Amino acid sequence: MDERLQRLKERVREGYYRQSRQTTGIDLLAECEREQLTWMQRSARLTRRQCEAERVVIEPDERIVFTRTLLEVPPIYSPEQEARLFSGRTMHELGPVNNICADWGMVLSQGLLRRREIAQESRARHAGDPEAAAFLDGAVETIDAVLGLAARYAAAARELGRADIAALLDQVPAGPARTFHEALQSLRILQAVVWLSGSYHVGLGRIDQYLEGYLRADLEAGRLNLASAEDLLAEFFISLNKDSDLYPGVQQGDNGQTITLGGVKPDGSPAVNELTRMALRISRDLAMIDPKVNLRISGDTGLDLLSLGAELTRKGLGFPQYSNDDVVIPGLAAHGYNLEDARDYVVAACWEFIIPGRGMEVVNIGAVSFPAAVDGALRAGPAAGDTFDGILSRVREGIAAQVNHLAGEYERLLLPPAPYYSILMDGCLEEGRDLSRGARYNNFGVHGSGSANAADALAAVRQFVFEERSLPLADLLEALDANFAGSEELRCRLADAGPKVGNDDERADSLLRWLFAAFADACEAYGRTGKGGILRPGTGSAMYYIWLAQGHPGMREPVVEATAEGRRKGEPLAANLAPSQGIRVQGPISVLQSFAKLDYRRICNGGPITLELSDSVFRDAEDIRKVAMLVRTFARLGCQQLQLNALNLEALLDARAYPERHKNLIVRVWGWSGYFCELSPEYQDQIIRRHMFQLA
Amino acid sequence: MVNGIVFDIREFSVHDGPGIRTTVFLKGCPLACRWCHNPESQSARPQVVTSPAGPRLAGTVYTPEELAGILNRQAAILKDNEGGITFSGGEPLTQAAFIARVIDLLDGLHVVIDTCGYGSEASFRLLLARADLVYYDLKLIDPALHRSFTGRSNRLILHNLRVMSECRTPFVIRVPLIPGVTDTDENLSAIAQLVSGLPGLIRVDLLPYNPAAGAKYAAIGRKFDPGYDEARPVNANLAVFQAAGVDARLT
Ligand code: SF4
Repeated sequence: MDERLQRLKERVREGYYRQSRQTTGIDLLAECEREQLTWMQRSARLTRRQCEAERVVIEPDERIVFTRTLLEVPPIYSPEQEARLFSGRTMHELGPVNNICADWGMVLSQGLLRRREIAQESRARHAGDPEAAAFLDGAVETIDAVLGLAARYAAAARELGRADIAALLDQVPAGPARTFHEALQSLRILQAVVWLSGSYHVGLGRIDQYLEGYLRADLEAGRLNLASAEDLLAEFFISLNKDSDLYPGVQQGDNGQTITLGGVKPDGSPAVNELTRMALRISRDLAMIDPKVNLRISGDTGLDLLSLGAELTRKGLGFPQYSNDDVVIPGLAAHGYNLEDARDYVVAACWEFIIPGRGMEVVNIGAVSFPAAVDGALRAGPAAGDTFDGILSRVREGIAAQVNHLAGEYERLLLPPAPYYSILMDGCLEEGRDLSRGARYNNFGVHGSGSANAADALAAVRQFVFEERSLPLADLLEALDANFAGSEELRCRLADAGPKVGNDDERADSLLRWLFAAFADACEAYGRTGKGGILRPGTGSAMYYIWLAQGHPGMREPVVEATAEGRRKGEPLAANLAPSQGIRVQGPISVLQSFAKLDYRRICNGGPITLELSDSVFRDAEDIRKVAMLVRTFARLGCQQLQLNALNLEALLDARAYPERHKNLIVRVWGWSGYFCELSPEYQDQIIRRHMFQLA
Repeated sequence: MVNGIVFDIREFSVHDGPGIRTTVFLKGCPLACRWCHNPESQSARPQVVTSPAGPRLAGTVYTPEELAGILNRQAAILKDNEGGITFSGGEPLTQAAFIARVIDLLDGLHVVIDTCGYGSEASFRLLLARADLVYYDLKLIDPALHRSFTGRSNRLILHNLRVMSECRTPFVIRVPLIPGVTDTDENLSAIAQLVSGLPGLIRVDLLPYNPAAGAKYAAIGRKFDPGYDEARPVNANLAVFQAAGVDARLT
């Protein structure tokens, strides 16, 4: 990385760009009220006014411009109005459309002026459809807003004597990008305006696919060489970190700015190219939080590419996250995705598989708590004559009840209009239908959380209560109610002696498989949702590994207290697919073997196996190659998704004590990475505990 | 049939040989090195290890069939990844008959023996006949110093080194660098002289001192009393090996 890039990176990390920020935002509410605008009109007006209010920032050494100066996305309704709009309806997270991926390749190649023409042609066709007309008017208003913003940047660049920047912005985003540089500049502005419009978790998708043509043409024509191309891509990556503190998320860093590399093309041929490797190298060398890298692999992926991935893992950013095409694509196809679309999948903010340009999916309507289902089943059954099968059938009912409850809530889902996001998607303009009304795929995803805990709990009950008959169910329930007070010995037995998920032990793994089958059955039995989609069961936990154990204001899921695998009240559940916290496992191979037993064709919402390796594992090129082999093993065993973290315990402990010394320490938290020092203490402690165990 | 006692089985142990391997740590060691970082490996009996994570019994007795069965479950994966099994310790030589039987039952896996070389020639030959690669520790060449820091003479160790070389089993010499003890110029050049030109020698690995060596003593109720200055920087003198024409590296 040369000096210029180093400087750009430093500026981002120092918060240099904050000085350009405007202290007061725009007030849109009065205007919306005065003109009595509809919701659609307000949404379009929001994009327009935000673009108009943005101040131009061009640093002398920047070659890709746009820096956000507005702190906030202003409300378009008062809180009371919003409450009325949503009364009896379900709001998803913060409200706006989020966590999807646009068809960036399409927009870059068409340019906004072409999108505008398409909108107007469609407007003419839909003249008799007031809803379509209103949407298309809104879409055109947002296009004009972005064009205006780009024109102001171009004019300012000209004034500053930056003819190069001005020339770029004369071409894009209005027209089609012709070069790699133009494509990156266009993408920067187009994506930033999504954030400005209030949408969030704005994924960037398969950049190595839709940008590759531009790169290849430039290389062939001699406009760029590999080094100058890397410079541009690195600057683009750095630019994605400029404004990320302004993005909404549960914790800072949880912003869903993901890219998905590698895999296969829609026709099934290999998609890995020079840009795939370049993106991995740059991400490794920059070591910044954004963009978060997902790498699609298969059992045949070469060790050279996987080694590049392992070098990135060694940086401790918590990515790349690996998805196994051998498993994901058939899984999506089995869930009704057309094969070409399935092959084009990308990973959303955390791990969910979505289709760029074609999905308006809500991939996280909530979590099924497997531990709560098990707990409920145990409590319902101390009656004499109860059998283990009786418990299992109640667990099944409990899972179905949770699924039905979450899906029922989302039958009343209300998504605000998204006219700007719509122009970036396939078919919205053409069909005169706002994105919030749906796209080709409109499925809902449900997380399946605490699965290893629940399987371990069931395994313990089967062994101690039913097989050995050494523990009456009533005694177990009493101990759980007392949070194991006075029965520490029993707790240790439950925690240590029984079979555990993560050891390739069929006695526990079969129950894990059973739980997910019951979950998939419940989703299938639910059938179509009101949005016309299906429910996709997944293996992720997101923040639910803490919420389901400790509670969280406003959550729809049940909280569980002490559980039968020996977990005390309040202690976190296992995150995603991982062994229950604090149990000993023989190592990563056994963990992979345990989780390879799931039927991923039926559970395709994603959710990674989470493995932590001490950074001491990665000493030299040979070690890197072994980590690459471990990742290949994950794929060859038929697992679905893998999150591999490199952690240094001393660094973590020191960072907790002296945060000021470790401002750059990045850790993987659940589906995303964040600066360790910026996480709240309970997350810090949880990560430290996870790590200590791994070293024990 | 002879059973074995094992204190840990660890998968993906990246520094114990080529490829993806599983290491079996055998319990029991005839030496008592002052710097031993695995004190629970020395006694050949099960013992309780206590830590903040709770007590744990270290030391599981297996029949050869049981242990081979466990290891063979991952045979396909280990073979697919250029790896295999490493027998370490503790000291494998003290359970040579058991290990030999386990190796015979393995599903054609690559085998590394990680040994301090202290044992009878007969036991060692049992393992040499079955090993693809040996990691052979050399600590001190001076007999008196060896006895004083490990509790035993180095006569068998030096003898078995020659046996191994005559058998042509490929081997890597490993030298733990203990500040002021094994890292002296005299000791390192004595080692270099000794191994220089030995048939089968692949290279010498100098292992930097592990400052966490004493970390596990309290957990088994012992006091760590190294008898040397832990804080002193080690002398990783690769030049003496170079001078003797020996490929050596600091790992
Ligand atoms: S030879 Fe190894 S296991 Fe035995 S005492 Fe010495 S350091 Fe410990």
